[in-house]
Amino acid sequence: MDRRAGFFLVAAVIAAVLVPVTEAGDRWVPIAVSITYLVLAVASWADRRTRRAEHRRSAPSP
Amino acid sequence: MELAGVIIVIGIALAFDFVNGFHDAANSIATVVSTRVLSPRLAVMWAAFFNFVAFLVFGTVVAATIATGVVDPDVLSIGVVFAGLIGAIGWNLITFYLGLPTSSSHALVGGIAGAAVAKGGFQVLIASGLQKIGVFILLSPLIGLALATVVMIGVMWGVHRHRNVARLNRGFRHAQLVSAAAFSLGHGGNDAQKTMGVILAVLIGSGYLPVGSDVPLWVVLSAHTAIGLGTLSGGWRIVKTMGSKITRLQPVGGVAAESAAAATLFFTSHAGIPVSTTHTITGAIVGVGATRRLSAVRWGVASRVVWAWIVTIPGAWLIATVTYMIVAALS
Repeated sequence: MDRRAGFFLVAAVIAAVLVPVTEAGDRWVPIAVSITYLVLAVASWADRRTRRAEHRRSAPSP
Repeated sequence: MELAGVIIVIGIALAFDFVNGFHDAANSIATVVSTRVLSPRLAVMWAAFFNFVAFLVFGTVVAATIATGVVDPDVLSIGVVFAGLIGAIGWNLITFYLGLPTSSSHALVGGIAGAAVAKGGFQVLIASGLQKIGVFILLSPLIGLALATVVMIGVMWGVHRHRNVARLNRGFRHAQLVSAAAFSLGHGGNDAQKTMGVILAVLIGSGYLPVGSDVPLWVVLSAHTAIGLGTLSGGWRIVKTMGSKITRLQPVGGVAAESAAAATLFFTSHAGIPVSTTHTITGAIVGVGATRRLSAVRWGVASRVVWAWIVTIPGAWLIATVTYMIVAALS
């Protein structure tokens, strides 16, 4: 996994850990933050995968 | 005698607010100045104006949280508030000397809590209020970081489709005026209210106002004037850390970081949560850097910020405790 996706994943976990200790009325905030980081982690992973595939395609064949 | 004490503590609270504006001016103007959209002089005037007019936009919910949501209002006395302020100011001066963008808000919460515990023991702490503040200490930079990343991705997607990059850059240089104004508005709204909370606490503690009172208008205006004047005086030591040491910002990154941080501050001010404007913008700047690549973020500087973040509350707490013990011994 690339480091950026890992970073976003760690941020998602931190936000998720905060859900139970947040007041009931504000609980949607860490949930929304956690989901956003999860989406960013997946997007980052997909971006890196696409770039690698493009790089392989554009590299001169032996 | 007591009135003199109240006036002195209010004076110190306004001085704290002034230093807060001075300390945090860099956060809102670093990118506008570094990209030469405005001269430093005009930039601080721009930020100071929006710091001041924030009282027209935001209520005083954050002030109420500081005054009655951190420690039991019954324990608040002139001595406790004085010691809490000395703890916060002392810690701010230490970190200002070290060039660290620490949070005046956390220092204030740590200072007030430390002094109150020194007077009445740990039972005077209000667990629910401290829990809310503690959760958002962690959440506010995370929200700023996530929003800035999302905004940057949206902008990059737009740029990719637009092609005319020179014209876009010109547009973003001007958009920085709006984003810097929004961030200054959020900063004035959240940070000036902390001083209002301290003044409200001392007025309640000394019996000049009953518990549950609204913040008087003269307190609102004087707090916004003090933070605006502090910003006008400008603190340049931290400009370098915020503007270039964490990650190098371009106009587009400045707009993304400032608008993300401003949105976070608008939300937390509305919800009555005192958060660190410094850590919110730091998180947003890291978010902008992370859209390029993680190595674009200077993690050494970012980790110094995090360490300062962790030790701020205990540091201010300790100074406030010692100050309160001296005050109690002398009186």
